[in-house]
Amino acid sequence: MLFLERKVDMKTNSTPQSLIKEPKGLSGRIQWLRDYYFRGYERAWNNEYTSWTTGTPWDIIYNELTFYIVPETYTLLNTMGASYLQAAKPVKLHADFWKWPRVERRAWFVKEAIVNYVPQEILPGDLLAGARFNIQTSMCFTKEESSQWLREVKGKNGARAQIKWFHDHGYGNAGATSGHLIPGHENLLRIGWKGVYGELLSHYNALENKERQGAKGAQLRAMMTASTMARDLASKYKDLCLELAQQEKDQTRKKELSIMAQSLSKVPWEPPATFWEAVQALWLNHMLVMTDENYPGPGVSFGRVDQYLWPYYQHSILEGMDREFAKEILKCFWVHANTAYDAMIRNGNQGITAGFGQLITLSGLGKNGKDMTNDLTYVILEVIDEISPILEPKPNVRLHRNSPEELLDKVVNMIESSQGAPFLLNFDERSMAGMMLEAKKAGLTHLINESNVHEYAPVGCLENTMVGNDRSGTVDNNINLLKAVELALTGGKDLLPFTDPLTGKTETIRQDGPPTGDSTGFRTWDEFWEAYVKQTRYIIQKCADLYEVSESIRSRFLPTPYLSCMVKGCAEKGMDITQGGAKINFTTMEAVTYATTVDSLLAIKYLVFDKKHCTMKELIDALKANWQGYEVLQARAKNRAPKYGRDDHEADELARQVMQLWCDETWKHSTKSTGRKYRPGMLSWNYWAGDGYIMAASADGRTKGQFLSNAICPSNGADSKGPTANTNSVGFVLGGKAKDFPGDWKDYLNVLPNGASHTITFNPSILRDPEHKEKFKAFLKGYVENGGTALQINMLDPGMLRDAQQHPRDYRHLLVRITGYNAYFTTVGRELQNEVIERVSHSKF
Amino acid sequence: MMKETQGIILEIVRMSTEDGPGLRTTVFFKGCSLNCSWCHNPESISPKPQIHWLSASCIGCGICVETCPEKALTKTENGISIKRSVCNGCGLCTEECPTTAMELLGKKWTVHDLADELIKDRAYFEPSGGGVTLSGGEAALQGDFCLALLKELKSRGIQTALDTCGQIPRTTLAELLPYVDILLYDLKEIDTAKHKQFTGSGNEKILDNIIFAADYIKTHALPKTFWIRTPVIPGATDTPENIRGIGDFIYTKLHGTVSRWELCAFNNLCRDKYKRLGIDWPYANMELPEKTLMEELCRIGKSAANPSMVCWSGSTKIESNPNNKLTEKHKASISGC
Repeated sequence: MLFLERKVDMKTNSTPQSLIKEPKGLSGRIQWLRDYYFRGYERAWNNEYTSWTTGTPWDIIYNELTFYIVPETYTLLNTMGASYLQAAKPVKLHADFWKWPRVERRAWFVKEAIVNYVPQEILPGDLLAGARFNIQTSMCFTKEESSQWLREVKGKNGARAQIKWFHDHGYGNAGATSGHLIPGHENLLRIGWKGVYGELLSHYNALENKERQGAKGAQLRAMMTASTMARDLASKYKDLCLELAQQEKDQTRKKELSIMAQSLSKVPWEPPATFWEAVQALWLNHMLVMTDENYPGPGVSFGRVDQYLWPYYQHSILEGMDREFAKEILKCFWVHANTAYDAMIRNGNQGITAGFGQLITLSGLGKNGKDMTNDLTYVILEVIDEISPILEPKPNVRLHRNSPEELLDKVVNMIESSQGAPFLLNFDERSMAGMMLEAKKAGLTHLINESNVHEYAPVGCLENTMVGNDRSGTVDNNINLLKAVELALTGGKDLLPFTDPLTGKTETIRQDGPPTGDSTGFRTWDEFWEAYVKQTRYIIQKCADLYEVSESIRSRFLPTPYLSCMVKGCAEKGMDITQGGAKINFTTMEAVTYATTVDSLLAIKYLVFDKKHCTMKELIDALKANWQGYEVLQARAKNRAPKYGRDDHEADELARQVMQLWCDETWKHSTKSTGRKYRPGMLSWNYWAGDGYIMAASADGRTKGQFLSNAICPSNGADSKGPTANTNSVGFVLGGKAKDFPGDWKDYLNVLPNGASHTITFNPSILRDPEHKEKFKAFLKGYVENGGTALQINMLDPGMLRDAQQHPRDYRHLLVRITGYNAYFTTVGRELQNEVIERVSHSKF
Repeated sequence: MMKETQGIILEIVRMSTEDGPGLRTTVFFKGCSLNCSWCHNPESISPKPQIHWLSASCIGCGICVETCPEKALTKTENGISIKRSVCNGCGLCTEECPTTAMELLGKKWTVHDLADELIKDRAYFEPSGGGVTLSGGEAALQGDFCLALLKELKSRGIQTALDTCGQIPRTTLAELLPYVDILLYDLKEIDTAKHKQFTGSGNEKILDNIIFAADYIKTHALPKTFWIRTPVIPGATDTPENIRGIGDFIYTKLHGTVSRWELCAFNNLCRDKYKRLGIDWPYANMELPEKTLMEELCRIGKSAANPSMVCWSGSTKIESNPNNKLTEKHKASISGC
């Protein structure tokens, strides 16, 4: 399926692999389910959105706010909204429906649609119930609410107009987005929905009469309704299993269906006892979050599955469950998770394809520095190894100083056999230092401290949060730091006028940022830096202001009562998660273009002030001309100016200043409507590619249209000193190690609590034999000490080498290592290049 | 104040996986005492700084031509032409070149600055038994600098390896060995006449020195690790007699001190380097050795020396079939120890 392939590219920034890994050792059942899934839209069954309306003429379906962080969808927002509405089928409303507060209407409506309208099905051989969950439901608005919504969202200066302006002018994007958290699955399995319902009821009973009639009462009643959704859906699936069992001729399958029926009559309402029951409960609990939010799998993550499923696994193994059967159950779970992609199966998933990140976390630290790897960790790694390539759920393996050799061996072998890592790696010590920092900054040390910080887990890809009580808006604000350099050069204006691609109309440039003066008159680097500081302050403020618009709308109009049941704080406060109900309640500013920004500042300092190769005016003219006619200056900017990512102290020192500045500015802000404090992180998703066409040429030598830098990675081709130097730079700018004082976790510092995405491409020859695998393990151990919070490992592939043949100047530092010999790829002749490509294509080193 | 010793360094390669155990940072010294006809790093032979020009990076601005005080550079249809007889390696052109297409081979370093640079990957050395390798060229040719660097690295707790061709003064070798943890020693050709033909020197000093090193190891238990490497060069060192001869030598003269003898397959990736340095290379059109040859030589080596320590490495010839598609059989030629 083409769109799935494309998504891999977007998320991991890898070029297509020439050696596609094949799944292995699958049973007939799993092979069939997997093959069936990959038949895509040819399938008779799918999990495409169905949409459901209250039937009012003013009804609104489709929450476009969730898509504001997906610029590819901006032009489709109207079409999407209209088409869901057009296709929507009416749900017969409860007689009192319009008398209820909105949150109760919504809770009832979503439950009614998924339990009583959406069909239930079980695929042949499937061991888990819970198939269709992608739905678009009415916002359940009254007429007045509907027109207010339309005004605030689509009005002249509404949320949509504001996000579009922000994005068109190269600032980035921001929007109150779904998912991106880890619900409290562990607790939910332990007490069942029955337990949750009981807690909600006692909170409700504890309310004063007046409170019951107010917002708190409505919220808790809505949550009680939502807390029975999984029970009632499970009951429907139980009936289906019984019916199928009755018709089934095959005795083995008949028995499976009977066990499933038995299980569904119990979980997820009651706590599970067996592994199968626990996985069944987990799946239903999880998929209904996507139902509740009307959004498939946007970073709705599972947390440490190998930890909280471990007691159930042990129980069942003791009772005689075959280890292979546990894998069989998990593989069904894998197939289910992938059906999230069916949402828009016929018209392609547009930009949101990259947004799916139902992340699971494996291994990692426990209390007192103990490693928590267990047999279930390995069971799940085997599942990934055997069923890959498949996209969901995305795995993230947590490593640390005491990770066992056996785990590292397994990880390295899987990287080798998949020609790249089929998972992300998270690094505990650095990550935990960041979590400790956010606790200090936000006064949350009672919730995050030395005794529990190891319970953290990443969301989506690598965005670190606590579990079951934390929503930190990990992808909600995406700011292009580079815009501040542009504004410092121009004294607060766009460098180039914006032309609307649809109308062809060109806007006149206006004063937007603070007037920091005519940079052509600056005498010293410090003057320029001061202007940059002010503009950075400005763009972060502007991003926070923009986010406030959609955050405020979501908090008033779009409750998710089911999800609120799964996150600690909401029931206690009687407040929806969208209103700030979670106990830990950050929103995250993700900086994009970091290395491009640093390198541009380094280039301005080098070209204009240190070496005086040009005046500021000449540099600005060159950028306006997209470097055309300024090729020598551009070459100096690209090749002679210092760069971040080479373990070069002088360059990395400025990089650290840039980091400290934007982090300090970020911590100053909180949302007004929901009181969420901002915290910094670096995840560039695919913006670093797309916004490269929007942002003007930059002083580092990049032309408009070339990619910007990705997350915390050095600029493309800048890491000429190899992976270790690259890693050292990343660790350094995050804070490195504390020297004369305690770090935030042991001796570690980390200024980005959210974490930072880091991708490194290796030569496949580094994994060619056991001796070299040991060397690669040493790199990972060094990364624990010197590196960042998260690492994605790619392997150099023929596609990249062919591109390097075509564009040698973009790959000047691409080192190929063939046995004892290193050579810069672009400096060897065409014939030898071809030979290198052939060897890489066929793992012949 | 005494002028600090400076070394001429060609290149520093970090995360090297091929110059000794573990992950290493390898520092290539400029200048070699041999002149092997097959040399993979021809730019390392001359002890003096040299320039070269990389066509793929050049934008043709001509700044280098204007900069050169010796008028050694001209812009031609084929790019920048370097008059080697006139160029004195001052490097001014390389400083002014906006693209780094004009590159200086051989830069001066002080011991302290170089050590600072070399230990940056300490965190990766330690978990893998890695460290710093001094290679070249021939590191020991810059004896004082080499010694000072080894001492400095040892004082900072860094494991050291010396990669030598053995054609060095005995006194220098004796001075260096106490600061070397891993000795990587090349034995290329056992027949001294052939050795002279291939490298410009006979092998007497090399063999004497290696026996000295082995004796030193026996008495001092240092260097702790001793590896021997033999380049397998088509039409030169790739004969059974040579491999058998070296194997016999190792077995009879160095017995018990060597833990690995590696036969390294000829590599032609350096072809374009010769072009850039304006040197005709007799091996320019030489193909890589066949896998069967490497296996056969390895077998011979094993029969002569302790079999468990003999291995081969490197790329071998790819045998393309008419469809230019590789079969499963061919995929398997990933070699190693």
